[in-house]
Amino acid sequence: MDKKINVFLFFALVFGFSIGFIFMPKADISNKEKRKLATFPTLNSENYLAGIWTKQVDKYVDDHFPFRMSFISATDFFHAAKGFQLEHSERVVVLPKKKAKHQEKTIDSTKSQMAFLDEFEEKYAGSMLIIDGCVYPMGGGSPAMSKYFADMINEYASTFKDQRVFSAVAPLSSAFIPVEKYAHYNSQNKRTLLAIKHNLKGGSIFCDIFNELNEHSNTKLYFGTDHHWKPLGAYYGYVAFCKAAGLDAVPLEKMTQKVKYNFLGTMYQHTQDPTVRDHPDTMEYWIPKVQTEAFKFGPYTTDKPLKTKVFYESSRGGNTYSTFLGGDEPLIRIQTGINNGKKAVVIKNSMGNAFAVFLVNHYQEIWVVDFRYSKHNLTKIIKENNINDIVFAVGMYAAMSNGTIGMMRRLATQSGVYVPQNNPESHDPNIEQNQHLDSTDKE
Amino acid sequence: MVFSSLTFLYLFLPLSLIFHYSTKNDLFRNIFLTVFSLVFYAWAEPMWIFLMVFTALFDYSTGLYIEKKRDTSWAKVGLIVSISVNIGLLVAYKYGGFIYDNLSYFLPLPFDRPHNSLPVGISFYTFMVISYVVDIYRGEIKAQRNPLNFLMFISLFQHLVAGPIVRYSQISEQVEKRNVDWSRLSEGITRFCIGLFKKVAIANVAGVLVDKYLNTQLYSLSSYESWFGIVMFSIQLYFDFSGYSDMAIGLAKLFGFDFHENFKHPYAAISVGDFYRRWHISLGRFFRDYVYIPLGGNRRYQDRNILIVWFLTGLWHGANWNFALWGTYFGVMMVLEKHLKFVLDKTPRIFKHGYTLILIVFSRAIFYFVDFNKLTYFVGNLFYSKHSINAGFLSDITTHMFWFILVVLLCIPWDEIYPTEHPLRNRIALQYAYVRPFANVFLLVLSTMLLVNATYNPFLYTRF
Repeated sequence: MDKKINVFLFFALVFGFSIGFIFMPKADISNKEKRKLATFPTLNSENYLAGIWTKQVDKYVDDHFPFRMSFISATDFFHAAKGFQLEHSERVVVLPKKKAKHQEKTIDSTKSQMAFLDEFEEKYAGSMLIIDGCVYPMGGGSPAMSKYFADMINEYASTFKDQRVFSAVAPLSSAFIPVEKYAHYNSQNKRTLLAIKHNLKGGSIFCDIFNELNEHSNTKLYFGTDHHWKPLGAYYGYVAFCKAAGLDAVPLEKMTQKVKYNFLGTMYQHTQDPTVRDHPDTMEYWIPKVQTEAFKFGPYTTDKPLKTKVFYESSRGGNTYSTFLGGDEPLIRIQTGINNGKKAVVIKNSMGNAFAVFLVNHYQEIWVVDFRYSKHNLTKIIKENNINDIVFAVGMYAAMSNGTIGMMRRLATQSGVYVPQNNPESHDPNIEQNQHLDSTDKE
Repeated sequence: MVFSSLTFLYLFLPLSLIFHYSTKNDLFRNIFLTVFSLVFYAWAEPMWIFLMVFTALFDYSTGLYIEKKRDTSWAKVGLIVSISVNIGLLVAYKYGGFIYDNLSYFLPLPFDRPHNSLPVGISFYTFMVISYVVDIYRGEIKAQRNPLNFLMFISLFQHLVAGPIVRYSQISEQVEKRNVDWSRLSEGITRFCIGLFKKVAIANVAGVLVDKYLNTQLYSLSSYESWFGIVMFSIQLYFDFSGYSDMAIGLAKLFGFDFHENFKHPYAAISVGDFYRRWHISLGRFFRDYVYIPLGGNRRYQDRNILIVWFLTGLWHGANWNFALWGTYFGVMMVLEKHLKFVLDKTPRIFKHGYTLILIVFSRAIFYFVDFNKLTYFVGNLFYSKHSINAGFLSDITTHMFWFILVVLLCIPWDEIYPTEHPLRNRIALQYAYVRPFANVFLLVLSTMLLVNATYNPFLYTRF
């Protein structure tokens, strides 16, 4: 009898999941993973003989397995059952590099082509230290590599003699690990950033963000579950910029403070560490009391502006950091109610998003360029809009990679089309779409 | 395709079972099983299927020829041709690049390095067909008359990719006709679930730690971490391979075949020789019956024979010198054990077990590092490293503590400690019979959960 029960239960499970897989509705996207799910591949002889079709079918089955997200969530119990975590103990998780070529087949648009050049996946892949639910990269940059970034800044300074060129590089969160034995990461970050300073010349201006953050290192300046700085860290970055630019930083008290809870960011998504999950971030942020109007553009031209926002207040869950500028866009133009005629270009990666929003306090117009996605010709934008200040606001890893430095350098000469700007009335349908995504991203 | 994939578990397996059990006609069953086996093989290697089918049909023909010409010198010619073609294909596809690299080191070669991908399972099915024709030549088996049946025997998806090396004599009757009852089905299911669990919950978990501690900058490792890494690799290797063999044996039972055991608690061995009577048994027996004994076995030049067999065993595992070194290492150990038998016989069992484990774990380093520079550096690290323990090492031990205990429990040869007639074993078996179905469900669901979790692929930025 027990044998029959054994056979019956096994077959019931195997056939049950098979039937579930065939008949259950299939989702198109996974909000939690921030990606499109695989579609069923088209069969042709070329694909089949190359072994691509079968791999794509495997991927399709993997992505659409019944109760997939529930299974993934339930895995925590297995990891917890494997052993026990000592209090305040440290854990190191090794994040594997993603295979860029495979990704490109599954996603589209210009962003996909840039995906593998993203400085996170290039540089963060490796050992991550987890202490008390906070994740830190185990590194602090390389003083030797700093020269290449400084050279690129110097080239901009010599090309654009009528503009001021700023280097505003944020240190890694490893600089502020609250454990004494990791103090060497603090000095390594410092040495790396000072090396940029020492290599700057020809009028390039260094923003001493490390020093400003270090003076406030008793407060939490970086997220524990995400690879970005917190808005407070970005604010001190902004203060350092103001000191270098001769501006008076607006005190936090003169802005509107808001807060978002339960942010489990990229570092949790990648490590899936239960202690990280148990320490979600709270994000306090500040909105300048300045009127703003923003438009975003596609990667190649500026002839189809779409209305966007400086703050996406509905962003939450895993997308909480997209509160700033709605995430990464190739090019955004922000016009403010500050009628002083001053204009700036901010060349940034995602670290620069939380930083750039503070600049609306000082400029009438700000162009925010994501060097990874923009194909626009930056020289034209700078010349035709009479830009005053050029600010490179990036995380340290972007300044440590020849790939990303090359992308920043190419902005000045690449062939994207610039179209003189009017204030368009067109409306971005994605604003609603993004808000919808934000509001559903509660996983 | 691999057994531990969602596509296999929840699409391929149910479909193949439905077709197999949709008829009681043995011919149709064999046709379905052959078709499914070819689909299984082609899933990973669509192009190489022709090579596998060619091998099967070629050896089907030579088998008939050898049988027809038995006791004549033509049978020997047929045997030599068959072995030469099979070994030739194996050498060409598996060792072509390796041979080129070594020859071009000494002399310029007028052609480019061959860049074949290794046909899946070629090492296994080549040995199967060799054993088939040799057994016919020796008159131990009768040649299969039906080419479909022979193709099915060679291509059976249960053993095709990772063994065990099934001999025709073991399943010749089942190739023609198979009986499946509740008992066999139940046994197969239990075995498959255990194998899947060993692969997914033990080997894959160990694999993460292996990557972390061995696939890293070796100069940053302390001696403790080096040993930890290589022990994890020993665990990964055993549970991966034996898990796969368990699944193969279980799946074979589901379709009415009985494969022989391929592993018998190897880490409980008390000598290196004993270890290889417990580890990948089908390969060891192949070399014993078709290389060692024909060379003279223990009757003449035994030391030489042992060294040759183990050198070849090493090379069978991979086309690189580290595998040859690894095999030779075991050959030397076995020769030493033979000559020191009078000492080892008087040594307490616990010491014999200890030295065997150390030698086995140490050998894994030779197996793991294809690069000799890395290997020598790592071996040095095992005994002395200036580097202190890295952050997170203690945490890796505590967060896997219960898992380690489970691994040790699974390595203990309970069936040898409590043999079949032991009353305790009978009592437990009786009670466990009622738990078994639910234990299997637990193992299957847990393994599925871990397989699904491996599909989790988050992106930093939205990639819609």
